Amino acid sequence: MARYILRRIGWTVVLLALVSAVTFVIFYALPSADPAVLRAGRQASPELVAQIRARLGLDDPLVVQYWTYMKDVVLHFDFGFSYQSGESVRAAIVSRLPATISMTVGALVIWLATALPIGVISAIRRRSLLDRVTMTGALLAISAPVYWLALVALYLFASDIGVIPIFDGANTYVGITQDPVQWFASLLLPWLVLAAGFSAFYARLLRANLVEVMGEDYIRTARAKGLPERRVVWRHGVRAAITPIVTVLGLDIGVLLGGSILTESVFNIPGVGRYAYDAIRTADLPAIQGTVLFAAFFIVVANLVVDIAYAFLDPRVRYG
Amino acid sequence: MNDLRLRRARRPLPSRPLLLGCVATLALVLGACGGSSSDKKVAAGGFASGLPTDGQKRGGTLKLLGSEGFFHLDPGGSYFQLDYMVTYATQRPLYYFKPDDPKTAVPDLADGPPQVSADNKTVTVKIKSGIRYGTNKKTAITGKEVTAADVKYAFERGLNPSVANGYEGVYFPLVGADKAKGGPISGITTPDAHTIVFKLTKPFGATTARALVMPLTVPVPKSYVAPLDAKQPNPYDAQPERQAFTGPYMISDYKAGKTITLVRNPQWDPKTDFKPAYLDRIEWTIDADPNVAGRQIFSGTGLANADTPTAGAVKRFATRAKDRITFTPLGNRFVGVNTQRKPFSDINVRKAFAAALDRRAMLLARGGPLVGQLATHFLPPTIPGYDEAGGAKGTGADYLANPSGDPAVAAKYMKLAGFPSGKANGEKVVMLGENDSPAKETAQITRDAIASLGFDVSFRLLDQSTLYSKFCGVRTELEKIDVCGFAGWLPDFSDPYAMLTANFYGKSITAVNNSNASLFDDPAVNAAMDKAALIADAGDRAKAWGAIDRRLVDKVAAVPFLFDNVANIASKNVQGVVGQWIASWDLAYTSLK
Amino acid sequence: MTAAAPLLRVEDLRVHFDTDDGTVRAVDGISYELQRGRVLGIVGESGSGKSVSSLAIMGLVDGERARISGRVEFGGRDLLALDPEAMRAVRGNEIAMIFQDPLSSLHPFHRVGDQLAEAVRAHRDVSRAQARARALELLELVGIPDARRRMDGYAHELSGGMRQRVMIAMALVNEPALLIADEPTTALDVTVQAQILDLVGRLKDELGMAVVIITHDLGIVAETADEIAVMYAGRIVERAPVARIFSAPEHPYTWGLLASIPRLDAPRGEELVPIPGTPPSLLGLPRGCAFAPRCPYAQPRHHEIDPRAEPVPGDPAHVVACLLEPAQRRRLWAALRTPERA
Repeated sequence: MARYILRRIGWTVVLLALVSAVTFVIFYALPSADPAVLRAGRQASPELVAQIRARLGLDDPLVVQYWTYMKDVVLHFDFGFSYQSGESVRAAIVSRLPATISMTVGALVIWLATALPIGVISAIRRRSLLDRVTMTGALLAISAPVYWLALVALYLFASDIGVIPIFDGANTYVGITQDPVQWFASLLLPWLVLAAGFSAFYARLLRANLVEVMGEDYIRTARAKGLPERRVVWRHGVRAAITPIVTVLGLDIGVLLGGSILTESVFNIPGVGRYAYDAIRTADLPAIQGTVLFAAFFIVVANLVVDIAYAFLDPRVRYG
Repeated sequence: MNDLRLRRARRPLPSRPLLLGCVATLALVLGACGGSSSDKKVAAGGFASGLPTDGQKRGGTLKLLGSEGFFHLDPGGSYFQLDYMVTYATQRPLYYFKPDDPKTAVPDLADGPPQVSADNKTVTVKIKSGIRYGTNKKTAITGKEVTAADVKYAFERGLNPSVANGYEGVYFPLVGADKAKGGPISGITTPDAHTIVFKLTKPFGATTARALVMPLTVPVPKSYVAPLDAKQPNPYDAQPERQAFTGPYMISDYKAGKTITLVRNPQWDPKTDFKPAYLDRIEWTIDADPNVAGRQIFSGTGLANADTPTAGAVKRFATRAKDRITFTPLGNRFVGVNTQRKPFSDINVRKAFAAALDRRAMLLARGGPLVGQLATHFLPPTIPGYDEAGGAKGTGADYLANPSGDPAVAAKYMKLAGFPSGKANGEKVVMLGENDSPAKETAQITRDAIASLGFDVSFRLLDQSTLYSKFCGVRTELEKIDVCGFAGWLPDFSDPYAMLTANFYGKSITAVNNSNASLFDDPAVNAAMDKAALIADAGDRAKAWGAIDRRLVDKVAAVPFLFDNVANIASKNVQGVVGQWIASWDLAYTSLK
Repeated sequence: MTAAAPLLRVEDLRVHFDTDDGTVRAVDGISYELQRGRVLGIVGESGSGKSVSSLAIMGLVDGERARISGRVEFGGRDLLALDPEAMRAVRGNEIAMIFQDPLSSLHPFHRVGDQLAEAVRAHRDVSRAQARARALELLELVGIPDARRRMDGYAHELSGGMRQRVMIAMALVNEPALLIADEPTTALDVTVQAQILDLVGRLKDELGMAVVIITHDLGIVAETADEIAVMYAGRIVERAPVARIFSAPEHPYTWGLLASIPRLDAPRGEELVPIPGTPPSLLGLPRGCAFAPRCPYAQPRHHEIDPRAEPVPGDPAHVVACLLEPAQRRRLWAALRTPERA
């Protein structure tokens, strides 16, 4: 197991190096604005552009630029400076990370707390009214675009523009260290919005898995042993039904930690997703590179964690 | 789950052609307002004027909601609409456009108008005394008086790659600038602490004098800033709260991409300034969602937009809160045709095309009367020369007389062009357009107009960035295309030179980043522009440039179709004042009610 | 037969499923008795209702879709009348069951020992350690080598035979009075089959429990069962002490089953079709004798009359539901067994 994890970590590093290399190449291979020209502005003298190019290191061969960049990343954990704002990319990402983590964790708690009971109950009470209502609702929640859902939520419930003003709306986010109560209040609505789709998706996934699992022979065995039905469902049914979901869950968490652009956007929560989006829009290579690496890091790590967790959850795939 | 929604393209104020920053979202206004409100209603209003009034209230906090970040807050790099909003509130350039007069610059840091020498090669500016630097943290420069040397240093550092000013070379052909590289410029001298003299390489003084409104003229104290300029990235830009401020406000806090906060500058002395500076504090949210922001401004208090409101917000305000939305003209839009390639190298074909084009349909496709007014020439209403070129009525050219197009006139010019039937015989015309609304719809209208002349139009739609970076902005490509996208321009400052040369001056045809969409290079026009750039007198200058504008219409350098309107929206208790020349809030004049 | 009260008395048990296509009469009125310490073999093709009838006894038939009627008297109580909680207390405690495929019947993610201990604690108020000790004891009893280590293993790590031993151990942890073994050896190698059957027989004797073995293969129960019930289309068509089934079977269907007892060299796990044709659909059974369409001796009237189970003349322990005359049956059987001897 230890060797397996080490090998996976090794691959993770290789993968991140590849991701960064590909980002580099894409940025240069595809048509996009020259950062030096962008910086210099219209009808700037060629000399000025050349000076800026030299300063930004844009004249070096691609390999050298990549080497310089990676050296800083690896040795100093330094992701360079934004062409656009001049801000340190690492500082920018780190300063936005708490918001993104807040979003992810809060939504995660809500969606699991709702998806688990809904998925289980509707699987157990198949074709009941409750099952039909929740599954129809879930289908709607899955189909609803997050951006639209967020706007509707705001127009309905935001304290400033909502019809029933019961939640704090957009532009109210503050850091948890600044004011935990306000932090919680400002995130409640975004959490609910972000969790809605996930909750629906996981409830349906869990229901489908559990319906299948409850038809398995080992469930019949559990009942034949005289176990209470609750134990049959949770310890035998849900335990088996939830294992494949962990894989999906891990990746979703990884992706969300890379930033949830739309929800961050509507509620104006300064997270990593917004930063990445702005970076792409403004051809800001260091910021793009930083956020891509960062998101890739979370996804790759989530993958690793999922694989390891899966080995613990499903003894059949445990690695020699 | 993570679909990207494209936000509105940044609307660059001066440095980029309008074609890169179309206000796509305004298109929806058509459905909302096109039917009910006529041009007259829009013009006459019911809408807020956005002008300053007597007895505006002092004090309070204004909250701005925007969805776009800044490019550069360093006055040496500030070159975009949003950058300008902050720079002009926190710094004092040599000259300033008062919000209600976009045509006359008034001395701000300067003491009196600029003196241009008879040979037009020297510009001398006196600087007010008693203007002092304010800073957030006390430094050696805090409370020190601004001197001419600080303005000199501002120009010198503009050529430093860590500042990299975008227009210094265009409007300030300074002696010795080519060798300066961020160091001293021999062409700028400061005979005394309150006098600065610019020596130019060519007789360009009249235009240079007008460009003294640009943020580059904001004083920058060398002793304090030079060490920062040595760094990359430059902290004077990345951490603008470290600046030495001369304006009524200072940046007290800046979180890139998140928020910026302006507070009163304790060193600012109202006795030295004409700006009222009503507000105590301005809190600006940079990354608000535009849809949500529109609603919040509508329902909330103390709020206003920072950048272009969405079509939905414009509709909401225009129908339900007319007194809280203002429309300000800014820039122009036109269809450029390749004047160096058949068939449009023939002026009569160009005239026929202008006559065939349904410009009213173009306006409707873009969003109807609210988004702008039909253009018959190139200088927009806020730029001197507009009236001289014919104002709203136009030059009287018959091929632009009917905004809905005139097939008879078109046929007349086709005959003159050597097509006896009044129609071409299926000659090929290559046209590229944008695949996004509303540019797509206007491109189709344009294609139909060309096709109606009897040409065989090879028509292709591409995404905006590919279109301009690969084709329309690249000279060698553009030479093979007859109609490439759409063009338009926002002036760097309120002056016809800044408005017309980028698009129609022969020398502005460049290998890349080309802004002369028609490849229009007419020796007579070039000469007239060279000459008009030298005119110092405002009336004569407006007359000369108005005449150039007329000549551009005569030569059909392009077919103008729109003078854009920019909308600004505010909450109930906000008296928003719009800087007419820039079409965005003047924060030094805006107040609460 | 002794007159002592039987451990299990099934009386006119019916299990009908209502489906969109009509009523499926999976079990259609079966009756039998089982004494303590005795082994009953229920034999029939798949779909004959043998498994469903056992699941119905266990209370494991989904009650929402099934209509169950009749009586299942166990230790003096009617199990069908018990409330779910009381029935749960019986399941795995007084009546235990093992299934055909031990791999899919064991939970893949729970340790073997935990699965056994869980069964103990479902019915006994004992500590985890005590439950595990009991589990270990049973694993050793069923002959799992290195049982202590296997406690912490998972089902997929065991061989097929070992898994079925685990299933048996799990069924027996609470010393049930009745063990129902549903095709306990079908998924196993022939050699392992014998071991498992031996084990069941041995444990039956040691623990004094009654056993119901459900199988499609008469050979499986020939050695172990005391009595055999042959099921066809949801009914018991013949029931008799084991010796009599082999020596003097009365029902043509039983004759067919006897002819298809697999040999050691026969392919494993194959459901041998004893008689041409397939079992009837349980949806809308034909009138008359359900076996008549496949019966080479059927006469026209057999398609009209529903046969009733009746004792064979002179042998009250031997019951058969066949419309042929007893004398005729004997002649036919005599004719059938002769070529086999030859």
